[in-house]
Amino acid sequence: MIKEKLEKILLKVQKPGKYVGGELNAVIKNKDEVDVRFAFCFPDTYEIGMSHLGMKILYSLFNSKPYIWCERVFAPWIDMEEQMIKNEIPLYALESMDPVSEFDFIGFTLQYELSYTNMLNMLKLANVPLKSSDRTELKNIVVAGGPCACNPEPVADFVDIFFIGDGEEVDLEVIELFRECKKSGKTKQEFLLLASQIKGVYVPALYEVLYNEDGTIKSFAPKFENVPEKIEKRVMMDMDNSYYPDNFVVPNVEIVHDRAVEEIFRGCIRGCRFCQAGFLYRPVREKSVDCINEQCHTLCRNTGYDEVSLSSLSSSDYTQIVPLLEKLSSWSVDENVSLSLPSLRVDGFTEDILSKIKSVRKSGLTFAPEAGTQRLRDVINKNVKEDELLDTCKVAFNGGYSTVKLYFMIGLPTETLDDVKGIADLGQKVVSTFYQAENRPKGKGVRVTVSSSSFVPKPFTPFQWEPQDSIDTIHEKQAHIRENLTTKKISYNYHDADTSFMEAVFARGDRKLGEVLLKACEKGMRFDGWSDCFSLENWLEVFSECNIDPHFYANRRREFTEILPWDHIDYSVTKEFLINECKKAYDNQTTPHCREKCSNCGAMKHKGGVCFEKRSSLV
Amino acid sequence: MKNVRVWFKKDDQCRYISHLDLNRVMIRAIQKSRLPVWHTEGFNVHPYITFALPLSLGFRGERESMDMRILDDNLKLDVIKDELNKCLPNGLSVFDVTEPKMKPGAIASAKFKMRLSCDEYSVEELYTKLQEMLNSDEILVDKKTKKGIKKIDIKEYFKDAKHYDTENDVVIRVTLPAGSTTNINPTLLVKAFFEKYSVEPYYDITRVDVFDEKGRAFE
Repeated sequence: MIKEKLEKILLKVQKPGKYVGGELNAVIKNKDEVDVRFAFCFPDTYEIGMSHLGMKILYSLFNSKPYIWCERVFAPWIDMEEQMIKNEIPLYALESMDPVSEFDFIGFTLQYELSYTNMLNMLKLANVPLKSSDRTELKNIVVAGGPCACNPEPVADFVDIFFIGDGEEVDLEVIELFRECKKSGKTKQEFLLLASQIKGVYVPALYEVLYNEDGTIKSFAPKFENVPEKIEKRVMMDMDNSYYPDNFVVPNVEIVHDRAVEEIFRGCIRGCRFCQAGFLYRPVREKSVDCINEQCHTLCRNTGYDEVSLSSLSSSDYTQIVPLLEKLSSWSVDENVSLSLPSLRVDGFTEDILSKIKSVRKSGLTFAPEAGTQRLRDVINKNVKEDELLDTCKVAFNGGYSTVKLYFMIGLPTETLDDVKGIADLGQKVVSTFYQAENRPKGKGVRVTVSSSSFVPKPFTPFQWEPQDSIDTIHEKQAHIRENLTTKKISYNYHDADTSFMEAVFARGDRKLGEVLLKACEKGMRFDGWSDCFSLENWLEVFSECNIDPHFYANRRREFTEILPWDHIDYSVTKEFLINECKKAYDNQTTPHCREKCSNCGAMKHKGGVCFEKRSSLV
Repeated sequence: MKNVRVWFKKDDQCRYISHLDLNRVMIRAIQKSRLPVWHTEGFNVHPYITFALPLSLGFRGERESMDMRILDDNLKLDVIKDELNKCLPNGLSVFDVTEPKMKPGAIASAKFKMRLSCDEYSVEELYTKLQEMLNSDEILVDKKTKKGIKKIDIKEYFKDAKHYDTENDVVIRVTLPAGSTTNINPTLLVKAFFEKYSVEPYYDITRVDVFDEKGRAFE
């Protein structure tokens, strides 16, 4: 039925190939032969969602179980959405073309705050009630995971179950529980109560929040006995034996990251104080060289991709990086497969690594010094020295590169205009380094791109109590960089301050924001991560209609003693550690990374990973 | 090293992918198949493939072709067919692999089957209106060219078109100029219809075959 209606509209929209499925390796099952149907929804476009590794892992994992059929759903772009509404086509899943409203589970991965409106809009397009309390039957269970689940509160009204931490085990445990509950005719409430007993599961409806007069939280407590007060994250400790797909769905239309992706480790040893991922995914757990090598080879063979990206939060921190690249090169060169290493650190970039990446194909170089002066880099614990950056650039320029991208953040705690000017100065120094490199590419000029984003304080970081700079201040700082750039060899881009502001509001929001999201969805707002659709004006209107002050969330300094909306979620990193890190930041003091010295963050309780590696200083 | 011509159908989900996407899908299928296909030796190494005639997005193709070079002269053509089919997504299927006889430049025309329908008119009404249009003295329509938009008369191209109505749609069979010199896209008829009646019919177009200037099927 949906298929016939679709045929009439597909030629009226851009890139219709996104809406029809049928890709290589897509999993088709007989719906009568499965017990649980799971609609895995990515709250953004096909091109973005299909690039996401977490979705690939869970899609394959779920489908490896004969009793589950997991299908993919993406947010239709606005042209397609318009046609779907006009022709009464509900949101459907790409494998079966069945409406999402027929599925047992509707799962979302929450990768960024500005996709919350897309999640609601997708439920709306699926004709599924938005609020958890309005879905009373044991069906259409809305579940969510991903980094934004670390502060689930802004979307707590809509989601039945949040998965906290790594999803590989907990998701299956909940699906299995659902299967049993469905067979034995249990109610949704009974199912949710049972689910809350599983480690890593957070059922927001089972908790009550009370507020103080000033809007801060007075208390947060379970409504029922046996419902845990704290929800501990799940962690996959043995990465070699964790499930990893031997196959990806290979899209027919071009997507953002159109290549094979291999996760080489989870977590990050560095502890940069602004970086949420660096704290959420502790401790660092590596895969072995042999495991990575085999998984890469299998993936390339099964997909036909001629490029494999070695993914992690900081690839050069992989302890066996050179042996790994050597092992991979033993087949990749012959099979015309190129290797790419995103997230290289300035201090981890060696000629050895450079030659391995370059052996097949050369891509641009990107470094993220994050701040312009050493003082501020110490504040944020980005332990990169200026001469390290310049030395690395020199290696790259001598190796034939002539374009470098530099990423910075503005609005960091304790930042002054001198720090901001330092960004422009550093760009200039990179340009000079090019002309000092003896073996630089001849006849070519150097191109340096300086990009600045605006700092968004995030939960579970030492800066979770910090106010965000106002939009006006961010604009002033952007202008300051531009004024201090004198050469045309440097181009300057910056991330829009308006979207960073909304991101900051939702990142540290509480349950009161549910009303705001609901109203935004009613007004048809979605794709707020896209400049085509985002409008600060519309958002401010929604906030004022709900009588909620967004600055309360984005620009307010919190006391260390305040109950934060996410305090009931436990990512193993203790609050004492975060407070201590925050104080050290104010003193311009750095903290050594996990391999240099343990800083006792709390992640050691998982009894593995980097916490139990032999440190070189001790050997 | 030998040249081979891979014949395939483009249908189902794959009719909705562009020529550029098709190119990528084929390159990945070749990579996955591990067939000994000659790769370019330039900066960006990739299997060398050429398509005889690009197909518009949305069209079905019954006899599409792609040329490539095989490094192993003894490799059986059927093996190429089978190995590629194992690596292609739903909607793309190889039905033959041959030695090329003509050059892609020899293509001069293509035969299309168009199925038209619309919400505004019944099949009979649509049929009558289409006939009326095809029988008029001229059918003027804007055609996008490299130099800008040009008004052209497509009456001549559609004078031999065979059309008949079926239960659900009006079917038109037409052979139009195609190839390196002149190309007339069958959707121009749909456009002309819209310009005349302000109704845009749904179209489902299949390219059935391609021919050289003497009307011989492309081989």
